[in-house]
Amino acid sequence: MFYAQLLVNGLVQGLVIGLAALSITLVFGIARFPNAATGDFMTFGAYSALSAHKVTGSIAMGGLAAIIATGVISLLAYLAVFRRLAERSVVALLVASIGIAFFIRAVLGVAFGHSQQVFQVPLSRPYVFGSVRITPLDLQLALVALAALALVFAILYLTPIGRQMRAVADNRDLARVSGIRPDRVMIALWLLAGSVAGVAGMMLGIKTIVTPEFGWEMLLPAFTAAILGGIGSPVGAVVAGLILGVVQEVSTPLVGFTYKIALAFIIMLAVLLIRPRGLFGRVEGAR
Amino acid sequence: MEAYFIAIGIIALIYVILSLGLTLQYGLTGLINFGHVGFFAIGAYTSALLALKGVPLVLSFAAAAALAGLAAWPIGLVSLRLRDDYFAIVTLGFSEVVRIVITSERWLTNGVQGVPGIPRLYDSLGGSVAQLAVLVTVLAVTLVGVWIIRRIAGSPFGRLIEAIRDNEEAVQALGKDPARFKIQVLVVGAALAGIAGAFYAHYITYIVPDQFIPLVTFYVWMAIIMGGVGRVSGAIVGTAILMLFLEGSRFLRDIVPGVSEVDMASVRIGAVGLLLVLFIMYRPQGLMGDYTKR
Repeated sequence: MFYAQLLVNGLVQGLVIGLAALSITLVFGIARFPNAATGDFMTFGAYSALSAHKVTGSIAMGGLAAIIATGVISLLAYLAVFRRLAERSVVALLVASIGIAFFIRAVLGVAFGHSQQVFQVPLSRPYVFGSVRITPLDLQLALVALAALALVFAILYLTPIGRQMRAVADNRDLARVSGIRPDRVMIALWLLAGSVAGVAGMMLGIKTIVTPEFGWEMLLPAFTAAILGGIGSPVGAVVAGLILGVVQEVSTPLVGFTYKIALAFIIMLAVLLIRPRGLFGRVEGAR
Repeated sequence: MEAYFIAIGIIALIYVILSLGLTLQYGLTGLINFGHVGFFAIGAYTSALLALKGVPLVLSFAAAAALAGLAAWPIGLVSLRLRDDYFAIVTLGFSEVVRIVITSERWLTNGVQGVPGIPRLYDSLGGSVAQLAVLVTVLAVTLVGVWIIRRIAGSPFGRLIEAIRDNEEAVQALGKDPARFKIQVLVVGAALAGIAGAFYAHYITYIVPDQFIPLVTFYVWMAIIMGGVGRVSGAIVGTAILMLFLEGSRFLRDIVPGVSEVDMASVRIGAVGLLLVLFIMYRPQGLMGDYTKR
């Protein structure tokens, strides 16, 4: 029954990883590079939510601030840097994303200091099911994550801009000759990717302690989930995030707390070797 | 003052050795190694722990190079079949895992408390003479490294790895196996990082896991991007600028009052980020790079 509790914890953690992986996989699928700034976008989201929460006292306003502010930062990063590097090699984009990650972290470090900060959320009685305890907070976070996911998938699959984004992800040249304007698709992409990372950052911040480095440390699990799910597959990223979250929690009694991240790395290697296109990936795969 | 310049010189040369490794891997062969600090850490801990067990320093340095190189081999086998960007993620992950292992395995590495009292090189000479001897030794190793990289670049092997960088399919079509050459390059570059790590450990005499964060990897990337990718002169000029930057930011703290050390660390990270972005955008060939091509 102990493991049932870990399963529940893992699902909440998995939603955070899944959202981060969703942000990575959207950018990887459409802008075609692994965005190493995703972790620091999350940190930015967490601090935005923290500030808004302090001012208004409302978690909902915190979430709104995280979504808007991180979406804007992500768009700015695209307009100022990534757009101008679009014709260059992957390594240029990759190094630039690392540069942006460092820059965001530095600005947050100077603005908010390096001391650990927490969301002041009221403690509440957990619901008890047999031996499994679920706190109302976890439940709320899960609902927020599911709502965010529903919104993203609605945008991707039910709106014209979502259809265009998927068309560009499938075949950029074909999308272009079909009259899809790449500029609009990219703006929508970076707003969406940023907002999703912002929500993930806020959730992680509420669950743990916010520091300027804490998003960067989620980068490896998030990349692992994106690869496990199959690069470019939004559904895959979320499913893989959940799997990874549960595996990490359930394995903690066996491998210890610190090796959670190492476990993600091993899983990443295994996926790349055995099934490089991941669970839901396209045939072209990772090689 | 003299002692200060010797100290700066030693650290600078350690960074030059690191950037020579990366020049070989990325500059010549096009391997995006984002985990350089992992091999640096393996070298530092290997030599430090062996030396504390009483192993002669010559052997502990050799072991540092060998183990770092050996660690690169499986990473190469696994990930060289992957596309460039995946290789970058895997190496970045590798260096984080190295740091997690040295943080967690307290029986071996003393965890976050780190390894104190690592023996210095030439300790019997004492004081400033020993410092100078260390500087000369690191300089000699660096020059050998420069000579090796230049020899490699001018050899048939060098032309082949540059061909891999420029067009891997073409190399394959000519009947060469790029993976084999990439693994060799990766191992040699990692061994160089291992030697740099050993010098670092025995010079600083106290190592903790926090000294081996990914930021170090990107210091080296910043150096070779600023200097000019794929050129030995670029690696050296880039490292000189890097040292000016790192030391300058320390002096800045003395001039501008009220800036705490953590704030300064933030400013340093921010400046590295900004410089990486600006050089990639506006001067991708670096200061010493080939201006005839982009």
